[in-house]
Amino acid sequence: MRPLGRVPVRHRVIAAFALGSVAVSAVVAVVTWNLTTGYMLQQREQSVTRQALVNARLVDTRLASGSSDLGALLTGLASSPEAAIFVRQPDGWISGGTATDNIDVADMPSGLIDAAGRGDIARQRLRVGGAPLVAVAMKLGESKASYVEVFPLRDLDRVFQFISITLLAGVLASGLLGGTIGWWASRRVLRPLTELTAAAARIAHGDLSTRLPERDDKDLGPIAAAFNETASDLQERVARDARFASDVSHELRSPVTTMAAAMEVLVRRRGEASPAARHAIDLLDADLRRFRRLVGDLLEISRVDQGAFRLSAERLDLAELARYVLARSSNGKPMAVEAPGPVPVLGDRRRLEQVVSNLVDNAQEHGRGLVRVAVCHADGLVRLEVDDAGPGVPAADRERIFERFARVSDRDRRIEDTGSGLGLALVAQHVRLHSGQVWVTDRPGGGARFVVELGGAR
Amino acid sequence: MADRLLLVEDDPRIRTALGLGLADQGYEVVEAGSGEAALKLIKQDDFDVVLLDLMLPGMDGFAVCRTVRSQGDLPIIVITARSGSEDVIRGLEAGADDYVTKPVVASELAARVRALLRRARPPVPTVLAAGDVRIQPDRGVATRRGEDLHLTLTELRLLSELAAADGRVVTREQLLERVWGYDYFGDTRLLDVHVRRLRRKVEDDPSAPRLVLTVRGVGYRLAGRDE
Repeated sequence: MRPLGRVPVRHRVIAAFALGSVAVSAVVAVVTWNLTTGYMLQQREQSVTRQALVNARLVDTRLASGSSDLGALLTGLASSPEAAIFVRQPDGWISGGTATDNIDVADMPSGLIDAAGRGDIARQRLRVGGAPLVAVAMKLGESKASYVEVFPLRDLDRVFQFISITLLAGVLASGLLGGTIGWWASRRVLRPLTELTAAAARIAHGDLSTRLPERDDKDLGPIAAAFNETASDLQERVARDARFASDVSHELRSPVTTMAAAMEVLVRRRGEASPAARHAIDLLDADLRRFRRLVGDLLEISRVDQGAFRLSAERLDLAELARYVLARSSNGKPMAVEAPGPVPVLGDRRRLEQVVSNLVDNAQEHGRGLVRVAVCHADGLVRLEVDDAGPGVPAADRERIFERFARVSDRDRRIEDTGSGLGLALVAQHVRLHSGQVWVTDRPGGGARFVVELGGAR
Repeated sequence: MADRLLLVEDDPRIRTALGLGLADQGYEVVEAGSGEAALKLIKQDDFDVVLLDLMLPGMDGFAVCRTVRSQGDLPIIVITARSGSEDVIRGLEAGADDYVTKPVVASELAARVRALLRRARPPVPTVLAAGDVRIQPDRGVATRRGEDLHLTLTELRLLSELAAADGRVVTREQLLERVWGYDYFGDTRLLDVHVRRLRRKVEDDPSAPRLVLTVRGVGYRLAGRDE
C-alpha cells in the first residue's frame, strides 16, 4: 500500500467527504431502523396479545361448557390465512386454522410452552419454514389447558425489508453525494493552485510575461501578488541583462570601428615598421580581429534577446550555400560538399551562412580540422552535417557546448584561436529561429559530428 | 586623378581613422561632421561618391540621402549601425546605392566604392531596348518614349543587365554580382529595393509591373516585345 502522503490531495478530499457522509447517514439509518422497527413490532405484539387474550377467553368458555367441535371453533378464530391456534387437551394438542398444514405445535419453542404452563403470558417471534411469525401462549383460566396462538408477521417483514432497502440506498446515495461534493470542493479549492502551476510552467518555458489574475480573496490574493511580483522582477532583470549586453556592444562598436580602421593603415604600412613594431602590429591585429568578432556576435545575440530581429526568409539551396562558405573560408584547401543535388530550404541567408561558417570555424579551431561537410534530405527535413577530426565531444558537454561562452575541457585549444566563445551559441540561436534543431554526436570513425536539421522548402 | 570621396560621419575619431585609411588606399577624402555640412560641400564641390553615416545629429542620414538624390545621381553608400534592422531598407529607399555595416574598415569601403564607380563608367557605346525604353549605358541615359527617366547609375546598370539578357531570367545572385560586385553573399534586400525603385520609374503601374517581371524564387527578367 502506498503511504497516504502520496495520494493526491484531491483524492484524499473526495474520500474524506464520501466517508464522512456515509458515516453520518449510516448512524441516522441505524437509529431510524431501530426506532421504527422496534415501535412497529411492539405495536404488533400488543395487538396480537390482546387478540389472543380475547380468543383464549372464548376458547376457555367453550371448553368449560364442554363443547365438542373445538377444531372448527379454532379455525374460525384464527384471524388470517396464516394464523394457527393450538390448545393442549389432556389427550393431546388440538389445532385449528388454515396454516396448520405448515405449522405444527412441535415447531413451537418448548420454553414458550413451559412459560405458558407456569401461567405466564408468553410471547415469542420465530420463523417456521422461512415465514416470520409471532406466537402468544398462555394458560387458560378454568380448563387449565395451554393455549398457543400463532400470528403471521409476513406483512410487517415486507415493510421492514422495504425500510431497510430504502435506508441502505440512502446511505449509498449520500456517500456518492459526499464524494461529488468533495470532488467539486477540491477542484474549487485547488483551482488557484492549478493556475499557479500552469503559470510557473509557462515561465519556466520562457514566457516571462505570464501573470496570475488579481484576486480579492484574503487567502489567495497574496500568493498571486507574490507570484506576479517575482515574475515581473525576473522579467525586468532578464530585460536589463539583455539591454546591458546590447548597450555594451553598441558602445564598443564606435571604438572598435576607429581601432579597426586605424589598424588597417598600420597593417598596410607594416613593411615600413621596425621588426619589434611589426611584431606588435601582428599581435594587435590578431586580437583586434577577435575583438571585432566578439562585438559582432554579442550584438547579434543581444538583438534576438531583445526581440529586435527580423527573419528574412527566402528560398535557397543549402548545398550551394555550404559550398560558398567553404570556398570563402581561406583555412586550408577548399573542401567539396557532399550533397545529392540542390537541397532547398526556406531561411535567412545571412544567418544560415553564419551557422555554416561558425560550424566550420569550430571544426577548424577545436576539432583538429574539418573532415567532411554534407547536406542531405532526412525524413522530409533537411540536414547539414559538419564532421571534424578531433577527439569528439564528451556526452556530458553536448548540451553545454551550445551555451554562451561555454568552455569545454579542451586540450586541443589552439593559441591562434580567433573564436568569440559565442560561435556555437549563435548557431543554436539561429537554428532555433528557423524552428530547427542542432546537436552534436560522434562521427563514425572518431571525431565530432555537428548536425543541423531544418524544415525543407517545397 | 584620384577619386574624390565625401565622408560624412559625426564621430571625429571614426571619421579620422576611416579618412586616414581611405587616403591610404589612394582616395582623395573630404570629411564632413554633419548632414548640413555635407550638403554645403556637395553644392560647392564635385565628388565621385558620398559615404554617409545614417546616424547623424541634426539632419539625419536619410534626409541627406533624399536631398542628394533629388538633386542628381551622385552615388551614395550608407554606413549603418545595424545590419538586421530596418535602417538598411530605409537607407536604400531614401536613394542609397549600397550600404556597409559598422564596424567597417577602409578596405571594405574601398571595395564598395570601386564596384560603384565601375558601374558609373560603362566601357562600350551601345544601345539597348526594353519595351519602349531605350538605354544608352555609355551616356548614362535611359529614355522612355523620348523622355529621360532620370535613372541613377545603379538603376541604369540594373536595367542594362536585364535588357542584355534579352528576355531571359537573370538570377538574383547574378544581378548582385554584376551590378554591385558582390559574391554569393550579397544582401537580396539591396536588389529588391532597387527593383522597386526602378519599377517606380519605368512602369505605368509599379504595383502591376509589365516590363520588369519577377520570377519567383529565381530572379527577374524583362518582358519581351510581344508580352
